[in-house]
Amino acid sequence: MKDIARQLMSIKVESMDMLNAQIQMEGKASASYLAMASWCDQHAYLQSAEFFYHQASEERSHMMKIFKFINDCGGNAMSPEITQINHDFSSLEEIFETALSQEVEVTKAINRIVAASKKNNDYAVENFLQWFVKEQLEEEKTMRDILDLFEIMGRDGIALKLIDERIKVE
Amino acid sequence: MHPMEIIHSSRFYSFFQSDKERCFYIDLGQKTVRLSFCQLLSLRQKIRNIDIEDHFDGDGNKHGFEILALCNKEHLFILNTHEILDLKELLVGAFLVLDMGLSTSSIPQKI
Ligand SMILES: [Fe+2]
Ligand SMILES: [Fe+2]
Repeated sequence: MKDIARQLMSIKVESMDMLNAQIQMEGKASASYLAMASWCDQHAYLQSAEFFYHQASEERSHMMKIFKFINDCGGNAMSPEITQINHDFSSLEEIFETALSQEVEVTKAINRIVAASKKNNDYAVENFLQWFVKEQLEEEKTMRDILDLFEIMGRDGIALKLIDERIKVE
Repeated sequence: MHPMEIIHSSRFYSFFQSDKERCFYIDLGQKTVRLSFCQLLSLRQKIRNIDIEDHFDGDGNKHGFEILALCNKEHLFILNTHEILDLKELLVGAFLVLDMGLSTSSIPQKI
């Protein structure tokens, strides 16, 4: 018997499933950042709005990276259905807190796939995800640094304005 | 049809590979369907996405039937709960034999 399936796909099907779930997660992160950008825009936090527009497009590019990888490996990448995006926030700080916890969730999900791919000897997947492991460290740090500003500068109107001005799109 | 090798059988169905055509066949009882590898992956994803819990919950899927469109809607099947579960079993087993799957799956069923 020929190894037809293996010739047509380079990764395990379970890896593909997990990567498809990750596509969904990155897509949702992108949509969620877009909602945050909108809130910031409406509340005249213009630098923060720019920041989140940029984050939204970065998350989409993460999604596309995984999408292409699955298809390049001969798998079947699935376009995600994205629902239930939260648009309600009570403060700028809450937005960045939400952003950080979202990033932490993404890091955990990436780590789970890395762990599984190691266990399953799916080294191509493990190797592919190394970039994401590094990226997540940076993303978490960015959000933490911004949250530190609230500790340093306070939370009154003027402080929030100053914090917003310090937020830069990398 | 070219000679085929049987890969895996479940209670109702059988899964075959044709080396010559580089494709797969599933004998679904009513008919035998030819699938390319892509079509096989897409069938597997459709089956995985079926929420079988719905079949046992009055409001979800009252009748417990699923309509399954295969190979870009070339074939339509109506399967009941038992048949869906059996088809799931068939595909898990087949991917295992094809050395594309894992014997112990730690991955959640639904995305
Ligand atoms: Fe991301
Ligand atoms: Fe991110």
